[in-house]
Amino acid sequence: MLRRTALLLLSGITTLCAQDNVPVNGPRHAAKVPVALVHATVHPTPGETIRDATVVLREDRIESVQPGGKPPADAVVIDLTGLHIWPGLIDLYTEVGMPAAKEREPSPRGASYWNPAIRASTHAARLFSSDEEKAVKWREQGVGLVLTHQRDGIARGTGALVWLAGRTPVQDILLPEAAAHFSFRKGSSNAAYPSSLMGSIALLRQALYDAAWYATTGRQEQSDADLQALYEQDRLPWIAEAANRNDVLRWAGLGREFAHPFLVRGSGDEYARIAEIKASGASLILPLTLPDAFDVEDPFDALEVNVRDMKHWELAPFNAARLHAAGIPFCFTADGLKEPAELWGQLRKLVRCGLDSVAALEALTSVPARLMRVDDRVGAVRAGMKAHFMVTSAHPLADGNIIHETWVAGQRFVHKPGSRQDPRGLYDLNLKSVILKLDVKGTVQEPEAEVFRPGADSVRVKADLSFKQGLVTLWFDAKKLGLSGPVRLNGIAHRDAGLWEGQGQLPGGEWIAWSALRDKRNRSNGKAPEPKRAVLDSLLASEPGPVWIPFAPYGSDGNRDSATVIIRNATVWTNGPQGILRNADVCLHQGRILAVGQKLDVGTLFPGKKKPEVIEIDATGKHLTCGIVDEHSHIAIERGVNEGGQAISAEVRIGDVIDPDNVHIYRQLAGGVTAAQLLHGSANPMGGQSALIKLRWGASADAMQIDGAPAFIKFALGENVKQSNWGVSDRYPQTRMGVEQLMADAFVRARDQADAQQRFDALKPKDRTNAAAPRRDLELDALAEILRGERFISCHSYVQSEILMLMHLAERFGFRVQTFTHVLEGYKVADRMRTHGACASTFSDWWAYKMEVNEAIPYNGALLWKKGVVTGFNSDDAEMARRLNQEAAKAVKYGGVPPEDAWKFVTLNPAKMLRLDQRMGSVEPGKDADIVLWNTDPLSIGARAEMTFVDGVRLYDAQRDAELQRLIAAERERLIAKMLAAKKAGATTRRPERTRRGQWHCETMGEEP
Amino acid sequence: MRTALLQILLLLAASAVAQRPAPAPPQQRSVLITNATVHVGDGRVIEEGAVGFRNGNIDYVGYAYGVRGTYDTTVQAAGGHLYPGLILADNTLGLHEIDLVRATNDEAEHGEMTPEVHALTAYAADSRTTPTVRANGVLLAQITPRSGLVSGVSAVVQLDAWDNEDAPVRARDGLHVNWPSAYSRSGWWAEPGSTNRAKDEERQRRIRELRLLFQRARAYGHDSTRVKDVQLDAVAGVFDGRMALYLHAQAAREIQEAVLFAKEFNIPRPVIVGGYDAWRVADLLADRKVPVILARTHSLPLRDDDPVDLPYRIPYLLSERGVRFCLSYTGEHERMGARNLPFTAGTASAHGLDREWALRAITLDAAFILGIDKRYGSLETGKSATLFLSTGDALDMRGNNVTLAFIDGRMIVLDDHQKVLYRQYLAR
Repeated sequence: MLRRTALLLLSGITTLCAQDNVPVNGPRHAAKVPVALVHATVHPTPGETIRDATVVLREDRIESVQPGGKPPADAVVIDLTGLHIWPGLIDLYTEVGMPAAKEREPSPRGASYWNPAIRASTHAARLFSSDEEKAVKWREQGVGLVLTHQRDGIARGTGALVWLAGRTPVQDILLPEAAAHFSFRKGSSNAAYPSSLMGSIALLRQALYDAAWYATTGRQEQSDADLQALYEQDRLPWIAEAANRNDVLRWAGLGREFAHPFLVRGSGDEYARIAEIKASGASLILPLTLPDAFDVEDPFDALEVNVRDMKHWELAPFNAARLHAAGIPFCFTADGLKEPAELWGQLRKLVRCGLDSVAALEALTSVPARLMRVDDRVGAVRAGMKAHFMVTSAHPLADGNIIHETWVAGQRFVHKPGSRQDPRGLYDLNLKSVILKLDVKGTVQEPEAEVFRPGADSVRVKADLSFKQGLVTLWFDAKKLGLSGPVRLNGIAHRDAGLWEGQGQLPGGEWIAWSALRDKRNRSNGKAPEPKRAVLDSLLASEPGPVWIPFAPYGSDGNRDSATVIIRNATVWTNGPQGILRNADVCLHQGRILAVGQKLDVGTLFPGKKKPEVIEIDATGKHLTCGIVDEHSHIAIERGVNEGGQAISAEVRIGDVIDPDNVHIYRQLAGGVTAAQLLHGSANPMGGQSALIKLRWGASADAMQIDGAPAFIKFALGENVKQSNWGVSDRYPQTRMGVEQLMADAFVRARDQADAQQRFDALKPKDRTNAAAPRRDLELDALAEILRGERFISCHSYVQSEILMLMHLAERFGFRVQTFTHVLEGYKVADRMRTHGACASTFSDWWAYKMEVNEAIPYNGALLWKKGVVTGFNSDDAEMARRLNQEAAKAVKYGGVPPEDAWKFVTLNPAKMLRLDQRMGSVEPGKDADIVLWNTDPLSIGARAEMTFVDGVRLYDAQRDAELQRLIAAERERLIAKMLAAKKAGATTRRPERTRRGQWHCETMGEEP
Repeated sequence: MRTALLQILLLLAASAVAQRPAPAPPQQRSVLITNATVHVGDGRVIEEGAVGFRNGNIDYVGYAYGVRGTYDTTVQAAGGHLYPGLILADNTLGLHEIDLVRATNDEAEHGEMTPEVHALTAYAADSRTTPTVRANGVLLAQITPRSGLVSGVSAVVQLDAWDNEDAPVRARDGLHVNWPSAYSRSGWWAEPGSTNRAKDEERQRRIRELRLLFQRARAYGHDSTRVKDVQLDAVAGVFDGRMALYLHAQAAREIQEAVLFAKEFNIPRPVIVGGYDAWRVADLLADRKVPVILARTHSLPLRDDDPVDLPYRIPYLLSERGVRFCLSYTGEHERMGARNLPFTAGTASAHGLDREWALRAITLDAAFILGIDKRYGSLETGKSATLFLSTGDALDMRGNNVTLAFIDGRMIVLDDHQKVLYRQYLAR
């Protein structure tokens, strides 16, 4: 039995010597006395068990772990009978001992990277200071080793793997540079750039390329501590932070690009893209946080909670179990919990939801050790490993388990001194001549005692019991038990607390020897397990609803393959030489249009071969068209549509930030849209690179992008890029004159850069080693692609002068402007546009929303078309995109464009603008099966899309939509009932909040409004 | 029709020089438009109908063969459609010329409580936008201030006026209150903003302030001969029905609160504006006969889970549930986009609402809600001759081709600067 205070233990039984090079005030403890832990049940890893083992520790290491075994003669022996030893926990996502980040000025101090969000030279090891107050809380949960880093910036520098042993940083840092950390948040940087998610990604990508260049060439020209650090960090594991599952895939993509995978701190919603995450090969650090239920008693309040948020509440506890089942490696972090003390409770919830208990423990022990490449030293209780383990009363995941001790790098921390003796039970209390009964209940830490006379009818008297370190003090007023006053006893509890004995005084002052002998144990946890909590536990662990793909309302729970479909007897707007065909059939097969014509015959269509199963759709009275192509869209873009931090941001890519689960995608399918160009905003003259997508509702962000689509980029002119309407601005350009010169200058630089690269590439290999390799500049790369005709411009424009300017500029540099978008004064320079070869993607009737559209007219489209310009109408608006058919009809109204040609304004012509007209934009054999079936003439006000096919897959169907509405309603009802039950059973809840989806327009600045 | 058309073309040619057409003089010659499909505005349609009017008032509505009187001008309008002038409720037309040019913005006064401001004061009858809106059949509009909690007093105007003295049809039409929203629009699913307790308290504070204003205004001795308090004076009209009380509210909870507020003060003419959830509290609105100026049907669903076409279908849902409503074009681009008002009604008709009832929602019911139905909103004898002729279905983009329009019998010029530019550049 041990009777030492925690403090004593710290300085006394510690296996490690003090820091040798530090002067000591007094003698050093030169002797390195081993410690032997005996009679414990040892679990070297969570899946293994060795009963009655002896663990010998020397200095900070485990010397041996043996069944039975004999402690060395010179060892301090600690008896752990009845207790368990488990590997100590490791948390890889903490900021333990880190100072708060100071705001970093945009102008760099010291030899640092030009953008202050790149803080790669930050060393957690240099910033780390011990924080005992916090460390105690971690250790009490069994956590002794953490990876800590300063959470600031996009490249955050290195994290240090530190022991929570309360010594000096010199002693406690296990690995000063354990990992390099990254995020998509610029943190304390007050530089304007980046202001969006895509800007953050672009900045990091450029910095990583710069680091590689720096290592070979750059360091000879300049000195940059961040690039130096970033380059050196290539040898470390990389850890990144994700705000959601889309970010996980973004990091995986960056990892592939730089041949260095990221370990991603996930957000807990990965279950909704499990297949893609599995395929990406990502490893994760999962949070233990879980969302609260909502207050949904009031049906009107409940309206404000989306079904997706309700489903996430239900599914989040199953996330870890499902990732484990899918074979995705992960560890856990307590990051995000209010207190480390919540760790075990949360972990138990995950286990109740199907997570394997061994996997749960491994995710806090051996897995993080392996991910940090220190599994030779930590993560298990084995000979040769660092002494890092916890001593528990039971399985750590068992309810009521007590973590008695945590050993951190050979330092012993006892959390509940003496408390491993459980005094609870029913005792015979022998007071010399009187025999009473003593009943000890309550918790192990705070036992409560009552004394009564044998026999059922006795009064029970409350006794004051102090039970610490095996020392017992007990007093009670015995008047009601037949004695004359207080009884005061002092004694010692013997092994396992089954026998107490000592001296005491009876009323009147007589000294006696007393004893208490346990009759019955009372193992239950004092307070009877709350029935409510049991109800809640089983409720939360009950089978959740399906994960919809995409995880959004109107998502689906089934696979939808491209079947062979024949749509019969429709009025077919072919957009081809055949014009409009009445009573025609269209066959969709393997994602393409196989045939268009009267009375298509299956036998003729599929001669000889095995006939595919054909779905026949009767479209009598209906109209069939190709899908609408929206040349100018900002839907499904995450965290910023404008990278407005710089006048030129040609390096940013919308393709990096697609949100495939955005409900706007479905809404636009319902309006007959099947493809769109997702454009950067118009805040800067040379904006970002576009993503050309098909509205493949359910597909991942990557799979939505059109294979082999040509590369596009957004340019912008006029008021927005001059920042005319944002109040004060001092950014160049402030005039249309400046816009021209800024662009000219950028093209000159891009051309020079490309030439330099070409010259370098032309060198013989032996000459190359001595030549300085040009730095890869992603911004200039994109511009050089324009010069080479490999990237095409969609240019936001309004007034005639700026339209003419860009055409002149392009002609000077030898390329062609593909499309002027908005182009509301295009009608004034239509002839010039035609001779240049630019297309016009305009609005039907917008004007007067800013000064530069004061001369806009609704006849613009008709005029441009009449002058021979390829003309279309776009949406630039998530709402109008649902009614582009109505917009096309306005070309008939304003200017008398024939209906068939007006229809091309939203189909074939935008397809031409996107250079995809070989694949889409008409109903002709060989083209993609992007088809809309309308109830009537699509240009009429009564037109509704009844079915929308993308690549032959029916992704919208009005009848199916009605079913989905019912499904959503039913799922909401089910979840509301579940939340109400959970609240009743004591679950914490939060108030509903309307989380309306932000909408992007050209001019939206910053992240989601 | 030939003679009439000739006259019209001459008129057009004369005005084409000017950027903005001059308002028309009072009706001198009586006019009969005959053989058109007459859309009365109350739900009825008269095929091969005729409408006659003199001195600004309609004196005949019926079948073409029933015409007895004689008219100075007869327009043969076979194949054409005749409609009451469309009414644009809840709009800032004439209060703000160009969105991003601050100097042209007169729509929102500074401050939370500005009941005293009056839209008519700043209304630009000569806005360049107005002729483009008129050109699609919108002939009347409710000009509404926008700001804070109490935004001011609106005016109903006719859209062919020289200035703000000959524009108003109902100068002090109603007081507008923006009911505090119960839910913030911040955050989104991946980064939900936390529920801000202070925000809720802030909302309750605003409602208390609103209540205090109304309590003071009710107690205040209104004296039409002598203004003692410009704010309380402005509110006074809502208690006796001289003005309507327009309560702008979208969500069910807010609509409930607003209706109960109106009840608390025994407001004779409360109107809900916005009303996205009005169909959810339809019983309350129908029982208390509170009508709704519905937000633009061409809108996105407010909530992700909502049916994709819900905003298109709300008019139908309201009509099914017996709530009187009209349509508006409130929101972004509400002035220059207001020429699409007929198409928002058309969309409602494509999603359940009867076509003539969709028309009624931008004619007779709008007039009723704005308190001008005695004179406007339908083609009925005795009412103002405010009407237009379209070669096709005016609620359809391709059919909406307005060839003749009259306000109080005055034949207005349908040309506008945009058509002038079209002709100029077509000839370039």
